[in-house]
Parts: sequence; C-alpha cells; structure tokens
Amino acid sequence: MNAFRWWRGLVSAFGLLYLLRLLLPLPFANEVIIFSIYTIGCNFLLGHVGLISFGQPAYLAVGAYATASYLYYFGTNPYVGILMGVAGGLAASLFVGPFFVRLRGDYFALVNLALAVIVFYLTQNVLVAITHGDNGLLIVDRLSRTPVLDLSRPNQFFIFALLIAFAVWAFYKYLDDSIYGACCLAAKINENKLRFLGYDDRGIRLLAFVIANTTTALAGAMYAVYLGFVSPEITSPARAADPLVVTILGGVGTLYGPIVGAVVYTGMMDLASKFMSNWELIIGIVLVFVMLAGEKGIWGTLEPRLKRALLSPAAGSRPIKGASR
Amino acid sequence: MSTDIIRADGVTKRFGRFVAVDRIDYGLRENEVSGIIGSNGAGKSTLFNLLTGYCAPDEGVIHYRGQDITRVTPQERVARGITRTFQLTSAFDNLSVVDNLVLAFFRAHRQPSLLRLLINRRKRHRDAEQIGETLQTFGFDGIRDREVKRLGLGEKRRLEIAMAVLSEPKVLLLDEPLAGLAESEIKGVLDVLRRRRGLQAILIVEHKISHLQDLVQRLTVMHEGRIIADGTCEECLSDAAVRRSYWQIDVAAGREAVAP
Repeated sequence: MNAFRWWRGLVSAFGLLYLLRLLLPLPFANEVIIFSIYTIGCNFLLGHVGLISFGQPAYLAVGAYATASYLYYFGTNPYVGILMGVAGGLAASLFVGPFFVRLRGDYFALVNLALAVIVFYLTQNVLVAITHGDNGLLIVDRLSRTPVLDLSRPNQFFIFALLIAFAVWAFYKYLDDSIYGACCLAAKINENKLRFLGYDDRGIRLLAFVIANTTTALAGAMYAVYLGFVSPEITSPARAADPLVVTILGGVGTLYGPIVGAVVYTGMMDLASKFMSNWELIIGIVLVFVMLAGEKGIWGTLEPRLKRALLSPAAGSRPIKGASR
Repeated sequence: MSTDIIRADGVTKRFGRFVAVDRIDYGLRENEVSGIIGSNGAGKSTLFNLLTGYCAPDEGVIHYRGQDITRVTPQERVARGITRTFQLTSAFDNLSVVDNLVLAFFRAHRQPSLLRLLINRRKRHRDAEQIGETLQTFGFDGIRDREVKRLGLGEKRRLEIAMAVLSEPKVLLLDEPLAGLAESEIKGVLDVLRRRRGLQAILIVEHKISHLQDLVQRLTVMHEGRIIADGTCEECLSDAAVRRSYWQIDVAAGREAVAP
C-alpha cells in the first residue's frame, strides 16, 4: 500500500484533471471541478457520518448568494466575494446545524430538503428587493481584475479552481486520517456506543455537518464567480438530489468518487442533452445499473483493481486508468 | 461494607406490575472477580443496568467509592471508571480492529475535545505501545487491520473486552460475555479474563455456571428478583434454595431433552 501514498494519489488525480482540460472544452472542466467540490461535502456526510441530505442546494445557494450579493452591492474583488460565500455557508450551517443534527435518517434528509425549499422561496419571492427574484443577480461585469490569477477569465479560473479543489481534497484526506475521521465512521455505525466510550457524538456530527456544508457553500461561491450570475434556479428542489446522484455514481465514501462521479455526470449531461431532450432518463438508467452492480459506484469498483494493477509489476495499468475517466 | 467499590443498597426496579429487582443489597469489592447467575427473568440484567446507569431504581441507592451515583448518567459513570460490555457486541463494524482499540485508548488517555480529535493522526496511535500490547494479549496480532464486520463472534467479544480494558476501568462489568460462543472461543475469552484478575473489579453476568467456576472468586445466584445465595461457587451449588430454584430448571430441561 505504500506505493499509494496519499500525496501521490492526490497529485495524480489532479494531474489527470489538468489533462482533462487539454482534451475537453474549458467550461466542461470548470463545471466538473465545481461539481466535485459541491459533491464532496455530501459524500462525506453520507459515506463517513451516515447522514443523507436532500437539501444540499440550500447551502450551495447560501454560498452563491452571499458571494453575488457582496459583488453586486459592496465590492468587486472576486476573492473577497468567495470568502464572503464561505463565511455565509459557515454561518448558515452553524445556525441550523445544532437543530438539524439531532435528527436521524429520513428526518435529517427531509429537514434539509425543507430548508432548500425555504431558501428557494426566499430568493425567488420574499427577498426580491435584494435578490431580484427570477431575474437573478448579474455580476459578470462587476468583477475587478485581480493580480496573479484573474478569476474573470475562464482559463485562469480553471487553475484557481484546480488549486482550491486540491486543497479541499487534501483537507478531507487529512480528516479521514485523523482520530476524528475514525469517530465519524464510528458515529455512522453506532453512536450510542461512541457516546458510551466517552465521546461527544453530537459535537462530532455537528462539526461534520458544518465542514461539509461550508464546503458546499464554497462550491456555490465559486459557481457564482464562474458564471457571473446567480438565480433561484440554483436551489430549485428539482435539482436537490444532484449531489447525492453524483456521490452514488462515483462511490459513496470514497475519496475520489466525487471527481469521477462529477466527470461522468457532467459528461452524460453534455452528451445526452446534445442528442435527446430527455437526458435525465439516461442518467436514471445508468444510476439504476450502477446501484445494481454492487452499490460501490464507479470509483468504488475501480479503485481496488487499480491498486492491484499498479502494485503488481507485471500488469499494465493503462487500460484501467483510461476506464476510470 | 466499606471495602465495596460499587454497592447497591435496597434497590428495587419495577416494570409495570412486574418486580424485576426486589430490594437487593449487592456489593462488589475492589479487584474482586465476581459472577451473577440466574435463569431468564431472574433480574440479573436489570441489576446490571442499575449499576451501569442504564435505568434508575424505583427505590434504593447505588454508591461508587462512597459517593451516591444513583442519578449519574451512564457516560459519567464511564468517565469515573465503570465500564461495561454488551451482550450484543457493539464494536464498530466499519473500522479495523486496531482503530477500534485506538478509539478506546484515545478516550481513556486524552480529553477528547474536537480539536484534539482533529490534530491527532490515527496512524501514530495505531503504533502506540499499549495498543501493541493489547493486540498481543488478546490475540489480534495477525488480524489487526481486519474490519470488525469480518470477525467471528468470539473475536468480537474479545475485542469488546479489549476496548473496555484499554480504558483502564476500576470496575469492569461484562454482560454474558460467553453467550453464543463455541467451546474454543469460550476458552479464548476466559483466558483473557483470567489474565485481568486482580487488576480491577470484574463482574460477570452469565446464564450458566459451568464456565465461571474456576474464574470467579465469588458467585451470586438470583431468582425472581432476589438474591438467594452468595458465596464461593461450592457454597452456592450446595445451597438448598439454589438447588430448588436454579438446578431444578436445569434438571427439568435435561429430562425434557432426554425424553423424546
């Protein structure tokens, strides 16, 4: 296993993502990265803490609107805007977290969905004076040019997004290797026992909730800057299951599942929507097959084989690597 | 008795009209290995739950090292050194053997604030000396990285006792640690328990007496919510009341098994 030292895994994953940018259109690569950051929070909650949430768009929207509002009304620096989005997500998850993490299973899933619906109507109707309702907030021409990486230019935004994603993945990898990571997995399986061992199970879940949803808000903030536009569409309840779908597609609880899932999901969306109007049907069918194939998802199935192939000197790893795309 | 480390005085627990534990006085001395036996419904599990705080008595008090802990929560009792295992094993299925031990060990030796949990690496603690010793003592050397869900029942029981022991309790309460185990596995668990003798007070609740005979220094027999005998194994076995209530059940069951 030493050959799979964590930093090597990280570097090669992001090296592949960078190559993706050379092979595929830039908007696609940017969307994939934002989508994987969006998904990793959901993946962590579901795979490591056992919390299933149907309301991730709520936190995505909080991040996106916090960023867009700052850039629309106050400043022009996109970096500050993204920080505002993260702060907004942190504040929102700290605010609702203590109440939400008391809930279990279905109730947790649905209370988050309810929050997404609330955020949707807040942005669409109630706060029209600030959010401009369905017209949304257009910030694309308000972004100031920044030194080093100019986020208003898609190719430089891509490098920025790649660096942020790398940091996010390193952080989640770090979490997984800490005692806290073991506590999360333990809370997933038997929180009473964990409490009985003397750990603060609610604090552990709350921290996971805050971390995951702040990451989701970060994705929202990046999305706002990338698109230069935010509308209530972002939190539409119809899209509520998106991160769950990508999580399951990629492989629940795996480190790189969200990236693989995002590549496949965004790819299918792009491809299928070119040829037919009901592209969601294709995704539905693919998802059914992935689940029937053993609930491990694409990366969950490929990872052990890839490791074996890389660790045994005789086997060529090329074909498998190609398939993981 | 002042030498008792944990002691129940006149405790009664009713479930509706059913009296599960009826005005019982029971004390466990420091570093004593003691057993409670009795048939189903004798009240031994309820007494166990009263001692560990899983339910509160309707009457009576429970003292631990001279302090009244009748209303103290189970978690707080753990923190003070009263650790129990469960009949249904409850080690964390999705973690490896060694990570389960790390969690038990870390809690016992550090204040597990969220920050401490975040800054401490699992890997470093896996190699801690005490974890290594425990792995060896409990026979987990070859399977330290195996996920718990892939262990046998006997191994899970041993792991659970190992986790309890790692937290260095003053009182170790074992709820039917031998139930459902094969003979060879029973031997493994008993070996481990024998090695813990004299290191802390151990109370074992069991169904059958046969396995406890050469392990416990003192035996208590319960029947219908009351203690009917208390003493060495020999004393208990020769006691008239025990013969009437406890052995009769076994004898009757034996006959039934032979009859057809």
